[in-house]
Amino acid sequence: MRKIKQWTAMGLATVMAMSLSACGSGKTAETTTAAPAETTKAAAAETTTAGATTSTEPVELKFSWWGGDTRHAATEEAIKAFQAKYPNITVTPEYGAWTGWEEKQSLNILGGNAADVMQINWNWIESYSQGGKSFANLEDYSDVLDLKQFTPESLDLCKVDNKLMAVPISLTGRLFYWNKTAFDEVGVALPTDLDSLYKAGEAFKAKDPDMYPLALGEYDRMILMVYYLESKYGKNWVEDGAVSYTEEEVKDGMDFITGLEEKHVIPTLATISGDMADSLDKNAKWIDGKYAGIFEWDSSASKFKKALEGSVNKPGQEFVVGEFVKMGDNNGGFTKISMAYAVAGNSKHPKEAAMLINFLLNDEEGVKIGSTERGIPCSAAGLKILQDNKLGDPLTIEANTKVMNYSKFTLDSKFEHNDLKANPDGVYYKVFGKLSSKELDSAAAAKELIKGVTDTLEN
Amino acid sequence: MKSKGMRKFLAENAGFFFVLPWLIGFILFKVYPFASSLYYSFTNYDLFNGVTKTGMMNYNKIFTDSDITRAFMVTFKYAIFDVPLKLTFALFIAYILNFKLKGVNFFRTAYYIPSILGGSIAIAILWRAVFNTDGLINAVVTAFGGEKINWMASANGALFVIIMLRVWQFGSAMVIFLAALKGVSEDLYEAASIDGAGKWTQFFKITVPLITPVIFYNLITQLCQAFQEFNGPFLVTKGGPNGATTLISILIYNNAFLRHKMGMASAQAWILFLIVMTFTAVAFVSQKKWVYYSDEDGR
Repeated sequence: MRKIKQWTAMGLATVMAMSLSACGSGKTAETTTAAPAETTKAAAAETTTAGATTSTEPVELKFSWWGGDTRHAATEEAIKAFQAKYPNITVTPEYGAWTGWEEKQSLNILGGNAADVMQINWNWIESYSQGGKSFANLEDYSDVLDLKQFTPESLDLCKVDNKLMAVPISLTGRLFYWNKTAFDEVGVALPTDLDSLYKAGEAFKAKDPDMYPLALGEYDRMILMVYYLESKYGKNWVEDGAVSYTEEEVKDGMDFITGLEEKHVIPTLATISGDMADSLDKNAKWIDGKYAGIFEWDSSASKFKKALEGSVNKPGQEFVVGEFVKMGDNNGGFTKISMAYAVAGNSKHPKEAAMLINFLLNDEEGVKIGSTERGIPCSAAGLKILQDNKLGDPLTIEANTKVMNYSKFTLDSKFEHNDLKANPDGVYYKVFGKLSSKELDSAAAAKELIKGVTDTLEN
Repeated sequence: MKSKGMRKFLAENAGFFFVLPWLIGFILFKVYPFASSLYYSFTNYDLFNGVTKTGMMNYNKIFTDSDITRAFMVTFKYAIFDVPLKLTFALFIAYILNFKLKGVNFFRTAYYIPSILGGSIAIAILWRAVFNTDGLINAVVTAFGGEKINWMASANGALFVIIMLRVWQFGSAMVIFLAALKGVSEDLYEAASIDGAGKWTQFFKITVPLITPVIFYNLITQLCQAFQEFNGPFLVTKGGPNGATTLISILIYNNAFLRHKMGMASAQAWILFLIVMTFTAVAFVSQKKWVYYSDEDGR
């Protein structure tokens, strides 16, 4: 009996020890389609790339991206088409919403568990490339990935240590979008300059104190302030690794933002916080037309439009792209790479991964399926395919054309650094929060912002 | 001979082998991270860049950066209001549910449900729907002719919102109190009634003293949980407005997982640990004065 007890104890101990180690094992994501490992008929001739050939060995790739439902559906369809074209390649998708995505993916990159093909944010190149080790140099795969379709300038923005870490998917910039129905209801014209913006504030206040022509969160305020400063002073926000504006000039920008609150153009941050919405597009006041304008990336505007269209209380509202509000002699605002595709540095199949990127960005079939789900393509071939086939969301195309023609300033890659942009302890959130709550005056806010940005640039 | 020796060895060390899996897990997943986080707290350890500097810089920053000290103060304020409120509420409801009421089991279950739901996304949405400017509470307030309240317009209002979220999840503390109340002998109440003691007198003179060990247990666990609270402010108020609900746990999360600054995150976690430890130690020392253990002679 005693012997049985001893061996039971040993057995239990072993099982428990094994179960501990089993906790660490990963779980494989579901595969969309299990492509048979059969010989490919090398449909290379149909692609826009000359030498898109691969071995006929079975290849498994992982592809990760974030986005909304329509992007997920389109990308899964594109994966199916890619697998049909290259039957020996199986692609396993990993996707989700943006919230928490960067935290997860950055740890995957660090731990060597990143997907073979990753949709990345532009600033990830700066933050996570580890001197060019985390991502494969895509110039090494230019035989299957047609890099000639991208401007050298856009590729240069994706280089670290002269290695091409990613290829840009699309360029984006911020524009004004208006709920035209709300403006018509108030009886005021859509703003085109500062005077008309201020007049709109007065008119909205007169109609209903809870109505505002524009709504801006903390980060939106930072971008609009930079737009204002660039319009007025004609300088990039950061040049040669340092803030190129004096404290006095930034104070002017802070006064401008405070002025917008005082003139009832934008609600205070306390008012927006009081709405307790996850984001502006999910805010009931936006959906029902109480907040009638946004200053948003062209690649993100469609979700605001969709939210308006889904309004139950106020159906039939019209969402339009606005003119740039003139705030000085210069065309303020900047454009940036909205997102890019990268291949993991430790990918076992970088060539096939590059082929998938080429399919998504340059191949007629892939481009048609992807359409403008990730914005207007940077790839010349991709853009031509969309134009020739009259594909894509007209609103996105209109907005992108407008912002690319207007905004000419450049964006420093650390502008979106998490020391600055993180909520609630990033510099932008803290400074504009304190400014709005009057905890800081404009001079102190300018000083704190410059110090915070400088610290980030120097680190 | 060999197997006999082995049998003897196993017999003598059976207890050790029983605890061995736990011990391995404890060392690997508790002791090692605990010790290494202490070391990292004195470095600028960044997950992507490793350690390039050692020293007191993280601690210096924690004690000189007004935003970080403010987060500690907010956390302190949160715990100080949350714990007594939650314990009082849990004890009050447990006391009521200890009476022989009709359908009492249903109410016990109903009051416990919020604890199961926890700080989930669904609850965050519910809480926003209740407290936003056009939410349920303001609908009631305006129905009675009052002015709408913007809970997020003031630091105290926002803090109140997230404190209420945790107080609402009083179920687990309530169940423990209920079990303790069931252990109080009916004879004592009968004797007190004969002596003319009312319900309140009975509650404060009999019930409370007899369940002080359980109050003490709940106090310690709730204190630890309150100082580590994350979900409520992260999901409902996002640390706003203007840092009013930025608890230290949010800063630790952002530093560790968004910025990968494990050195700073470890230092903040260690300060938090020391604060919790101090409060726990004070509670343990003070128990001699107010906690009644029936198995102790003379007390």
